[in-house]
Amino acid sequence: MTGFSTFNTASTGMSAAQRALDATSQNIVNVNTPGYSRQRVLTQSIGMPVAASIHTSLNGSFIGGVSVVDVSRIHNAFLEASRAAAGARQAAITSQTDILTSAQQLLSEPGDTGLQSTLDSFYSSWHDLANKPGDTAAGSVVIQRALAVADQLHSLSNGVSAQWTTARSNLVDLVSRINQSASDLAKLNESIAAGQQSGKPVNELLDTRDQLVRQLASLAGASSAMDDLGRLSVNINGVTIVTGNEWQAVTLSGADDITAAVSDPPTLSVGAFTVPVQSGSAAGLLASLRTDLPSLSGSIDGVADRLVTAVNTVYSTGYAPNGSTANTFFSGTDARNITVVPTSGTALAIAAQPGTLDGSIARQVGDLAVDSVAQGVLGSPGPSVGWRELTTSLGVQVQSLKTAQSVQDAVVAAAEDAVQADAGVNLDEEMTNMMQYQRAYQASARVITTADELLDTLINRTGKVGL
Amino acid sequence: MTSSRITQRTVAETTLRGLQGNLTRVQNLQQQLSSGRRVSQPSDDPSATVSSMTLRSRRAADEQYLRNMEAASGRLTVTDNALTQLSDRLRAFRDLIVQSRNGAVGAASQAGIAANMNAVRDEVLDLYNTTYLDRPIFGGTITGSATVDAAGTYLGNDQPVEARVSADALVRIDVPGTAAGADTVPGTLAQIAANVAAGGAGATDLAAVDAALSTVAQALGDVGARAARVSQTHDLVDAHRLDLTSRISVNEDVDLPEAMMNLSAQQVAYQSALQAAAKIQQVSLMDFLR
Repeated sequence: MTGFSTFNTASTGMSAAQRALDATSQNIVNVNTPGYSRQRVLTQSIGMPVAASIHTSLNGSFIGGVSVVDVSRIHNAFLEASRAAAGARQAAITSQTDILTSAQQLLSEPGDTGLQSTLDSFYSSWHDLANKPGDTAAGSVVIQRALAVADQLHSLSNGVSAQWTTARSNLVDLVSRINQSASDLAKLNESIAAGQQSGKPVNELLDTRDQLVRQLASLAGASSAMDDLGRLSVNINGVTIVTGNEWQAVTLSGADDITAAVSDPPTLSVGAFTVPVQSGSAAGLLASLRTDLPSLSGSIDGVADRLVTAVNTVYSTGYAPNGSTANTFFSGTDARNITVVPTSGTALAIAAQPGTLDGSIARQVGDLAVDSVAQGVLGSPGPSVGWRELTTSLGVQVQSLKTAQSVQDAVVAAAEDAVQADAGVNLDEEMTNMMQYQRAYQASARVITTADELLDTLINRTGKVGL
Repeated sequence: MTSSRITQRTVAETTLRGLQGNLTRVQNLQQQLSSGRRVSQPSDDPSATVSSMTLRSRRAADEQYLRNMEAASGRLTVTDNALTQLSDRLRAFRDLIVQSRNGAVGAASQAGIAANMNAVRDEVLDLYNTTYLDRPIFGGTITGSATVDAAGTYLGNDQPVEARVSADALVRIDVPGTAAGADTVPGTLAQIAANVAAGGAGATDLAAVDAALSTVAQALGDVGARAARVSQTHDLVDAHRLDLTSRISVNEDVDLPEAMMNLSAQQVAYQSALQAAAKIQQVSLMDFLR
């Protein structure tokens, strides 16, 4: 080893320390960047000759030092995949919970403004009429209360239908985001492959690509697999949407109105294949669109139908002041088309015998407020029972979704912590590394000074002993 | 939180999650306290929601039964008054018969007694035509407003008028005209008055009025018994309604002392979490490097 090779060796140390400081500073500035994975400089020592001799070094060959092999990205694909899957499940639960929570608010139960209390007032008004048969005011109250019941059923039905439409337009927006992410990811695959072939650093691109995969998981429960060239292919439960630098558009088909949601359910497809979405926001939206909201709407229709049948069954046995019988009070078969037939409070058919001024049929309609009476008339549970069942089952569903949501939040937090523990930046660690690299740089510089002094001794001081 | 490697971001996110959880609980309690209700959405407690709906529905029915009973007892009171007066008038009529049968009464006096009798009969007709809320109380469900016409013909139809006083009890709130003698008494009285005008009342006339009196007395007893039943049921239903109201409150309303305690405890937890967060995030390695 000679003084000259020492310069080279020390300068490789300085440049390695500089590269390491570059990586450290990159880590520090990105401490809060979402999806950033910390980077480490991998160095390797360059072999020293087995025996140092004056000849080997004078040949000018490079024989010692350190080289930067790679700037590696600390990243665990398994942890990242489980974080993405947990996030996908969380997104599915959250989107379904949001929709059903606002559907639940439509019911405004328990309280004085819900359908139950409107129905109770409706039945009460019949009893009041029974107490004063032939009273115009009492008759008008019955008509008004009946209109209130019909209006509330209409607005419930319309409210659920409007929520369905909102959820569907959210799904349309979500599909366009899936397609945007898929196309971005395909482009990134291409850039990353090109970068890796030409040996350019692609760590930041890899982080961006992981973020896109996470986004696709959260949108539609997509998962990814890497091919031999380092390109990610992405599929949603087996239906591939990205391979290499190519991507395929996801499309939304099916009903665009709640009335057709059961016969023609909204479906995501890629080309001719149906995408079996099982997690991600899309899964929550699809579950609401295909099952929850249509079944809620169907239950509300069922309540309306039971009310129409029960009231008409009793009402048709009554005689109107003009002697007519077998009249109908409500027309329609569901919550959308229920209407009140009589328009005047004086013409109600509430007498048990023709030609009498009697309120016994009004009393019998009022008695439908009692569940067992309604059950007796219909042969099946009455409208109030149906309404309570609907409220309870929606309440139970929202409650269990909220429980699942808090459980899943904890799962996502744990998965995120695991990713962070692996790939996150710890400032204390970076500070320590920074000092370490700074010292390494200083020491290498010191080696150069020392080598310089050695040469100075050799060149300027040799032969001057005693001067 | 068992990760081997902890980063500043992990700490920040854990702290944030904890604070978020604390704040959510504080907000829930605050919402319960400000609304006074423990259950404001079905999902808060589905089973409490369904009991609440059932209880509210039953309370609404009870309130209606109470209204029905007020109408029923109004009508029964009017009927009771009418029957009492009827009985009073019939007794006056009976006195006139006794007077007419007194041997010392001359023909002119008999004519005067007959005129008196006709006046009492008119009063009896008016009493049979008593109305409650414009409905004749002895007429059943007839559409007209008179039970008996001026000639004494009974127009009523004896159809029952009933009121729902509780979920499983119906009370008949009318007295059928035939049970109060509306179909026979006016004719009988007219006949007796005619007999008196023609010379004097007989023993059969006295017996006929006694029979009418006993019919009315029976009807009166019946009305009294039914009024008592309505008033008893009223008390029961009212007690039931109060019980339902308190059960609704237990079911839905927030337990204020408990909620206040929970809120204070939760606020203390939130404050200590905030303080801990402030302390942890204050220091870093940089504070010790010079």
